[in-house]
Amino acid sequence: MRTEATVKCVVWDLDGTIWRDVAVELPPGARPRVLPEARRAVRLLAERGIVNSLASRTDPAVAGLVEADPDLAGRFVAPQLGWGHKSDAIGRVADELGIDPATVAFVDDDPFERAEVAAMRPEVLVLSPAELYARLDTPRFRPPVVTPDGRARAERYRHEQRRRSAEAAAGDRAGFLRGCRMRLAVGPAGAGDLDRLAELVARTHRFNSTGETWSRQRLAALAADPGWSVPVARLADRFGDYGLIGAGLLERAGPALRLFTVSCRAVGRGAPAGFLRWILARARAEGADRLLMDVRPHAANLELRVLLRGCGFRAAPEQPGLLERPLGGELPAPVPWLTVTEAGM
Amino acid sequence: MSVEDTLRRLLAEALGVDRAVVDRLPDDADLLAGPLPVGSLAGARLLAAIRDRFGVDLAAEDLALDCLQSLATLRAAVTTRVNGPARSG
Repeated sequence: MRTEATVKCVVWDLDGTIWRDVAVELPPGARPRVLPEARRAVRLLAERGIVNSLASRTDPAVAGLVEADPDLAGRFVAPQLGWGHKSDAIGRVADELGIDPATVAFVDDDPFERAEVAAMRPEVLVLSPAELYARLDTPRFRPPVVTPDGRARAERYRHEQRRRSAEAAAGDRAGFLRGCRMRLAVGPAGAGDLDRLAELVARTHRFNSTGETWSRQRLAALAADPGWSVPVARLADRFGDYGLIGAGLLERAGPALRLFTVSCRAVGRGAPAGFLRWILARARAEGADRLLMDVRPHAANLELRVLLRGCGFRAAPEQPGLLERPLGGELPAPVPWLTVTEAGM
Repeated sequence: MSVEDTLRRLLAEALGVDRAVVDRLPDDADLLAGPLPVGSLAGARLLAAIRDRFGVDLAAEDLALDCLQSLATLRAAVTTRVNGPARSG
């Protein structure tokens, strides 16, 4: 007879084992009646550093009923809810946790399911609920030493799963954004842009560095002034054209960015960071060793200020109300999915 | 609950990540460019949550948001404003 390893994971059936009911037959909104012995055992095992998981032939949506119970929510790692064989489900649990199936115990009230698992996976300890409860204080369910690390094990497994799915989701999102074929075209404000420029400056609060008002007349004067540069940005993607969505008012002496603003219809797509990077690169190409920037904190522009901090802006020494970005080192990283082009500068 | 603990909780909430991820973040890790980068929206959310929780409006007082450098700088900024300047040691 082989040595009996301490159990690392108990895989539970749901209907008839964790709760009395058949979950998919409950009326809408009803909660299953969790069996007190099961509730107690799940908690006890977790306290001993033994992970709980699920293998249930049911609608995957039943996971919501598990999470709705305060004692059960978050307790089960790598849960397997579906219509496949339980022996396969247990194999997936062991794989996901990276543990030997010989350290898994399976608990089910249904003798057929127990027999299936016992036949297909003889290494797994197969028990009825009553058998499990009777053995909770035997050595296989009592790890010799329970460390805080062991008690946090379920949380660690769960966190690892969440990280994987977050990575997958992030990969999808970056892929989606690349697939949008976003193009940011930057050029000097022309006479035809002045109405939209004035509107953008007046109406944009969220990504607006100062919140100051600049009249159309004044903007027209700056656009024609050789001492100033007024870059504007247009965004388009495969769905269509966003139009003129960003503007900077750059005083060449300094150089100092007196206003930076991007329409909220273009944020969440990397447009502010892409446009700002272009302005920094341009200033450096023209010989500046730093870019100054006027910033007035107001309630709405906090996101922009966090972005500026992330792009390397710091308080300019002894110049209250001004940030500066040194241009000697590296520029902020390009936005990977955004193609930036320029015209007529 | 300590300031440290609360800040880590608020950061996890602002980022929408598991508390355990934030717990592994060293005190001096760069919050904006480090292993767990805080984007502009999450950063704004975090500072708003700090204002609601501690009554300290770091965003209004700290133009360059130096406080967002790391968990250590955030804690120092909050503690200083709640308790007065920290003593050495």
